[in-house]
Amino acid sequence: MRLFAALATLLLIVGFATGALAHAALVAVEPASGSMLASAPKAVELRFNEAVTPGAIRLIDGAGRARDDARVSASGETISIAVPPDLPQGTAVVSYRVISQDGHPVAGSVIFSIGVPTGTQPPANVDRGLNALIWLARVGLYLGLFVGIGGVFFARWVAWSMTGLTVPRVALVIGVPSAVVSLGVLGLDLLGLPPAALATVAPWKVAFATSAGPALLVAVAAMLLAMMALRSAWYARACAVVAFIGVGLSLAMTGHAATAPPEALTRPAIFLHGLGVAFWIGALAPLAALMSKPAAAALPVVNRFSRIAVLAVGVLALTGLGLAVVQLERPSALVETRYGTILSIKLGLAVLLLALAALNRFWLTPALAKGNAAPALKRSILLECVIALGIFALVAGWRFTPPPRTIVPETPLAIHIHTDKAMFQVLVSPGKAGANDFVLQLMTGEATPLSAKEVTLTLSLPERGIEPIERGASLGPDGYWHVAKAELPFAGRWHVRIDALVTDFEQVTLEDDLELAPP
Amino acid sequence: MSKRFCLILVAAFVASPAAAHITLETKQAAVGSYYKAVFAVPHGCKGSPTTKIRVQIPEGVIAVKPMPKAGWSVDVVEGKYANEYDYHGNKLSSGVREVAWSGGKLPDHNYDEFVISSFLTDSLKPNTTLYFPVVQECETGVSRWIEIPAEAAGHSHEGKSPAPGVKLLPKP
Repeated sequence: MRLFAALATLLLIVGFATGALAHAALVAVEPASGSMLASAPKAVELRFNEAVTPGAIRLIDGAGRARDDARVSASGETISIAVPPDLPQGTAVVSYRVISQDGHPVAGSVIFSIGVPTGTQPPANVDRGLNALIWLARVGLYLGLFVGIGGVFFARWVAWSMTGLTVPRVALVIGVPSAVVSLGVLGLDLLGLPPAALATVAPWKVAFATSAGPALLVAVAAMLLAMMALRSAWYARACAVVAFIGVGLSLAMTGHAATAPPEALTRPAIFLHGLGVAFWIGALAPLAALMSKPAAAALPVVNRFSRIAVLAVGVLALTGLGLAVVQLERPSALVETRYGTILSIKLGLAVLLLALAALNRFWLTPALAKGNAAPALKRSILLECVIALGIFALVAGWRFTPPPRTIVPETPLAIHIHTDKAMFQVLVSPGKAGANDFVLQLMTGEATPLSAKEVTLTLSLPERGIEPIERGASLGPDGYWHVAKAELPFAGRWHVRIDALVTDFEQVTLEDDLELAPP
Repeated sequence: MSKRFCLILVAAFVASPAAAHITLETKQAAVGSYYKAVFAVPHGCKGSPTTKIRVQIPEGVIAVKPMPKAGWSVDVVEGKYANEYDYHGNKLSSGVREVAWSGGKLPDHNYDEFVISSFLTDSLKPNTTLYFPVVQECETGVSRWIEIPAEAAGHSHEGKSPAPGVKLLPKP
């Protein structure tokens, strides 16, 4: 038993000694995604907004073959893929899957064409089954942490009795394997491997190297400690409190929210939020069981819980709102992004939960003293349990949605205009109605760089009666012409015209249409 | 009274230059003959007075002589032709490629003409349009009359700053 305790403590310490950061996003690619090149680049460089670890990175060449001779090297924020010199003509795809510091995988692809564009497609690697397993394991983990550990903590420190612990026991039994499965499927997700690969070392090693690995270890340790606290031993109350703190620690060590800047605030906020949830939700199952007991036994416990619960709910609300503000950045993200949608529903459920809690605290608990409200209170608590379960299921879905603060413009809209005289590659980001940045790559008909004295971009939207908007481009140090923040007020089929002045008397003009998406 | 007014109105319309572009006064000319290219400059660059007119001489146009203009200095840039042309028994392989009038000032509200005498060799293809790209430099800004429509584009799709052109006729 002592060995067990020592092991659990060791796990806690190992887990806590890890630094971590935030959800990564790709900020720059060289060569730019969608670009046309005369010859194969020496390397493809992916630059992220934070240091990342490469997971699975694949190069598919213009002939559609996956190349295993592309060497991948990583240093800090940059991942460099050395391109084999014999890359054939056509569109090549680099699909990447990297591990960001919040322990989540970030995946995407970069395409570029050598000589001529071909129809090479980035591989689709969304595995619905794996995602469902990741989600399920996470819900199980939440059950173990909040219902299991929270329940044990309630029994040891608030109720001072071990009645009504069946549900927390079951939750702990679900929680431990869920944490282990979480680690395994994270590894699979990071490396893009099938479930059969769980039998190999690779996914476990990769998963453990992320911030999620130690966090899950802490979670397992905390749940084991909570199981020990179920025994009537002298150390039971100590185990319960350490396990309870472990809930907060585990949550604060990984994930979107814990790694959002400023971490000095978000990590403690997540820690407190986790403790608040464990205290409140953990108490529900034992409390419901207590309602079947005589009121004289239940009343002091309910009163004790109510007093602390007010504080816990205050902490929950405060930290929750603070984190939401940090993650969303702007209120409109509440409805515009999937992350925001989940948060909106969560907030709705939380308000419902608070309403029930207020009902219990200010109406049913006083009524309990008069001796006629036990069934009503029990029903209300059971309803709280259901809502809490709904919130867990929702929050587990956050694993799949980047928080709005990390969303950066995705691969820009690219059009390619080709005539005998010249070949222009136009990149428009974000490619949606509003302010757009244009990058113009000018080449001659033979795919050699076309040097121009002046480049003018003219945009019009005839269907909406928008007359030509003329913008002068400026030559950037990258050799491409740039137009920053061109205002394109509406979605639709914009007419793009590019005039490149080659000599004083000669200009090359190419025109095409560009389908701009709604904002 | 009203008759006089009408006359003035008609006169005003007739006298106004054809378009708001720089154009050639003589719209057609036969190959293998002299051509007096008169560049009509109807306005400055977005209201700014014109200070320099540069004309590029297209391939196949030789014996170029700009007409001097009071108040302007005229310069030519000579260079090699792509081909050799026969001119009164002489083989010409180089000559004037660009003419520039500068140093003057033509206010936006005035009209002026810039003249070049030239010879259209019979290497030019009849029934096509020969373009003389013009760069108009002003106190502020530049207008480039250098757009040459693609052959397939047809005439309906005229650019916003077309190069002045002359329709070539067969040799008489």
